Amino acid sequence: MAAQPGGDLKPKLRDLGAVFIRFGSLTFGGGIPTTAALQREIVQRRGWLDPQQFGICYALGQLTPGTNLLAFCVAMGWSLLRAAGALTALLSVSTPGMILVILLTRAYETWSGNPVAQHIVHGALASAVGIVGASCWQLVRPYLDRRRAARTAVIVAGSVLALARFHLPPVQVLGLAALVGLIWRDRGSPQAAPKDSFTDSPS
Amino acid sequence: MNVFILYLVLLKATVTSFSGLASLPIIRDELVVKRAVLTDHQLNAAVLVGRSTPGPIGLYIVSVGYFAAGTPGAAAGWLALITPAFLVIPLLHYLGRSTEHPRIKNVLEAVVVSSAGLMLATSIPLAQDAVTGALPLIIAAASCLTLIATPLDTIWVILGSAALSLAASELTPFR
Repeated sequence: MAAQPGGDLKPKLRDLGAVFIRFGSLTFGGGIPTTAALQREIVQRRGWLDPQQFGICYALGQLTPGTNLLAFCVAMGWSLLRAAGALTALLSVSTPGMILVILLTRAYETWSGNPVAQHIVHGALASAVGIVGASCWQLVRPYLDRRRAARTAVIVAGSVLALARFHLPPVQVLGLAALVGLIWRDRGSPQAAPKDSFTDSPS
Repeated sequence: MNVFILYLVLLKATVTSFSGLASLPIIRDELVVKRAVLTDHQLNAAVLVGRSTPGPIGLYIVSVGYFAAGTPGAAAGWLALITPAFLVIPLLHYLGRSTEHPRIKNVLEAVVVSSAGLMLATSIPLAQDAVTGALPLIIAAASCLTLIATPLDTIWVILGSAALSLAASELTPFR
């Protein structure tokens, strides 16, 4: 049963919590699939937010430091039911995962000495390195169009060198990068850059 | 390690990053390099655990907290993870529909791109710990390429890597 997307239907707190538990904390793959699932449920199926409200929440989630997905969920919860909605959304989306992470970490500590488990962990740890590499690529990819490729390459290379070669603290590197972003505008500025689809940006 | 200090350290990492794993360089710098309460091996394991569970990628910080200070540390990690999310409320209130300002976008883009560079630099010592032979190298490269080139979920990549490593150990026990 699809609701008309109007953004006028306000949920009950328990329904809001149920949606965020189901789609926010039980979807594998991080921000992109979770955002897509939440859009389908909150905008298209239930009509709690209209597409523009959803887009604003998403954009502000991207502007907020920390894990973008959590800020995005807080923004949606706040837009729907103010403080109670924001808190419910945040707890619903983060608590089940936290419990699972603690259980898995305990299991890792318990079993990592077992010879069979050691082989399994060896392979899985090697894949973790690949996962970090893929995350780097997914972060950079939306900024590699012709307009921004040169600046992106300079900032990435500079950041790698600053940390790996010159051992600058990461916070300082980020501060320098912000300065570069302030001074070196992309070739599309001062026009607004094209709006990145949420399917392009990791969380 | 004092749990409140751990919370502040992890909060510093989350509040200065703009995506799930982008906090990794600061966490490594603070907890592995400066304070030595975590090893590269544990940090790698935390990333692995975080990616093996559903929900936000940043949940790996809970595992980092657990390795550093047990269950209270995990709680500190969780609090450090969720605290910055509240910053979106004043943004929603004051910025509202003017989020497309080019100058703000430029600065944020530069910070996000720099985070990727920092992650890349941080992955070097992690790789030195985890990639100790030909098979782990193949697994790491294949995992990276699979995640970039296919829509396959991370959990299947991790399970496949674990299965491959186990199968290889059965075939060559003296590897």
